[in-house]
Amino acid sequence: MTQEISFLLQAIAWPLVLLVAWLLADALYVRWQVPRVTSYVAVGMLAGAVHLPGMTTDITALPFVATVALSLVLFELGYRINLRWFQANPWVLVAGVVESALTFALVYWATGWFDDLRLHVRLAIASLAMASSPAGILRVVHELRSAGQVTERVMHLTAINCLLSVLALKLVMGSRTLRVSGDWMQAVFGSIHVLATSIGVGVFLGVVVPRLLKGRLSAGGDGATVVFALSVLLLSTAAYGLKLSPLLAALTFGIVARERRVHLTHTQRNFGSAGDLLGVFLFVYIASVLEWVDVVNGMALGLLLVLVRGVAKVAVNVGTARISGITYRKGLMTGLALSPMSAFVVLLVGQSGLVGFDLAEQTLAAMAGMVLVLELVGPVVTQRALMAARETHVSQET
Amino acid sequence: MPLETFKTSDSLTMGVELELQLVNAYDFDLCSSADDLLELLSRKPFPGVVTPEMTQSMIEVATGIHTCHGPMLAQLLDIRNTLIDACDRLNIDLAGGGTHPFQRWFEQRIFAKPRFKELSGLYGYLAKQFTVFGQHVHIGCASADEALFLLHSLNRYVPHFIALSASSPYLQGVDTLFDSSRLNSVFAFPLSGRAPFTLSWDEFAHVYFTKMESTGVVKSMKDFYWDIRPKPEYGTIELRVCDTPLTVQRAAALACYLQALCRHLLERTEPLPEEDDYLVYNYNRFQACRFGMDGMMVNPKTREQISIREDVLATLRVVQPHMQALDSLAAMDELEKVTGAQGNHATWLRERFAEHGSVQGVVRSAVDALRE
Repeated sequence: MTQEISFLLQAIAWPLVLLVAWLLADALYVRWQVPRVTSYVAVGMLAGAVHLPGMTTDITALPFVATVALSLVLFELGYRINLRWFQANPWVLVAGVVESALTFALVYWATGWFDDLRLHVRLAIASLAMASSPAGILRVVHELRSAGQVTERVMHLTAINCLLSVLALKLVMGSRTLRVSGDWMQAVFGSIHVLATSIGVGVFLGVVVPRLLKGRLSAGGDGATVVFALSVLLLSTAAYGLKLSPLLAALTFGIVARERRVHLTHTQRNFGSAGDLLGVFLFVYIASVLEWVDVVNGMALGLLLVLVRGVAKVAVNVGTARISGITYRKGLMTGLALSPMSAFVVLLVGQSGLVGFDLAEQTLAAMAGMVLVLELVGPVVTQRALMAARETHVSQET
Repeated sequence: MPLETFKTSDSLTMGVELELQLVNAYDFDLCSSADDLLELLSRKPFPGVVTPEMTQSMIEVATGIHTCHGPMLAQLLDIRNTLIDACDRLNIDLAGGGTHPFQRWFEQRIFAKPRFKELSGLYGYLAKQFTVFGQHVHIGCASADEALFLLHSLNRYVPHFIALSASSPYLQGVDTLFDSSRLNSVFAFPLSGRAPFTLSWDEFAHVYFTKMESTGVVKSMKDFYWDIRPKPEYGTIELRVCDTPLTVQRAAALACYLQALCRHLLERTEPLPEEDDYLVYNYNRFQACRFGMDGMMVNPKTREQISIREDVLATLRVVQPHMQALDSLAAMDELEKVTGAQGNHATWLRERFAEHGSVQGVVRSAVDALRE
């Protein structure tokens, strides 16, 4: 009997935690406007900490489902990226590249104060610290229905810094492979090939899927969303199997698909309720991945890195604000709104481990403090920054 | 406060105001970006006047005072180019059109200015449904009585301007079957419609306006949403029935048509306007909104039915010498496009929907059209 109950508990632990997370997040949002993602992360952390039976992240399907969830987010982010904007206003692109580079440099430098970190762990941390959280930021933007320059720039800068983060990490991994094995072929395969092929797959789907859709959908085009979602699923599965980067491929897919001009309708943003469901899972999952021991041990480093990373992002965005066409104040808000860091980084490290980066676990352990702080507090900072920029939807008919 | 005195201005001078849509560059929904755009525009001199409107996703521009087509169009093009440059830097798209085809009004952010807050407080959802985009044309008047004479003489031509400018067939995602659905939104306001009939400014200001003011319903001329209203502080009459066209070329042509028409009316060869002219006014107005150039209108004097297209063509022949005299003949070509096979912008937008199969595609076409 007890065995049966324990088995049942194991089986229902995940869905139960997800339900609790959703209900709690909704209540906290209505009561105190706590961003929902923050609550999901908090619930995930607690569930991981109390070692609920069945709340084990060893189930191999979980990282895959999380990757699919994040791939959908990255597709959506890519879909909002307007490449021609960079042509019309190169300063946005400059801000994105400089912001990422400065973050890399400062974080690398700051990790040097901690003697026990190895070179490639430091490089990996610096690469990962560049990235903002597409999932966290998009969720907050949708929640507030915000629109304006801060919103627009945060999207574009996030796409840039995620892209650069993947590139940098793959290069670091290539360099690590070279040092360990001395095998040039393997090093090149592990980085350049993965990057190029992932982007290639994304571009290919981005061209082919819109062409398939053209003229074949019933009026309104709601079917396009389903086709895109299934394509993202296909792409993530394929990339996962081929040891490519599903995240990079999904982002590229979104960017190219948008350029092909098949329109997703208003109601389809965020992939509707299915997107919400996967979102809850994603945040609870990535929070449950972090080990409390690592979080506590890494807190000093974490807080330092949070500070350094924040300084880099804010400084560059304030510095380029006026010349890129916004006020210093909005530049400041943009820098702050880029704070969240979560699923993207966790899954990226996890994936790098799968494809043979031997320092993946060490890297995640060293970053645990930083990730936790930014997972929890980052979305709140983004939310407050968008509010302060007055870009949120204010309803007048109360 | 009594109505201010009517400042006279040079007869037949003209000015144009356009309300334009700000849309985002990824799904072409309206985007609340007016204050970002205004901030960027404030850094350089603007070739005209730019002001915030009711919602954050709308921007209003105005030309200076012009006498003929060439400089008017040149300034409108200049304004358009300046706006588009700024929009490009901010990843915003700009479009004409009387309505946004699929925006949901309850998602629009009302501009944070006291008068707008007050209006949205008073009108509730009407204020947001008022997220429609019009072209206003001002014509200078040498005297206040001239203004009222023109205002009422123009009553029979109002359907022309509705049909020629109509560019709002889509509203909240559906084809309304109206060429101008925008005017239906305007009509919901209590003080919309026609101005009361009087040809004497004394009577208008001291009897009608004083009485209205004493009811507490209005404080100034701004509270009237009439199709044509006098604007005492400019010394003009203001025609407000036009949808914002998709191109500035059309906007300039509409202004010049009105100017030429006024020149013709001021020759006073037509019978004097009278209250009974308004018997058919709402019927004609409806026909123009619903069917555009194909609508049937009743001539208030002869009581004859005639298609709006025929009536416009006949009127164009009458005003042609006036356009020539005003050095605005170039406007004629643009107007003949509408009376010809091409039709008005509502027709064009419906063709774009047929081509793209989505309302997003319609907005995208409108964005491209404005850039031409």
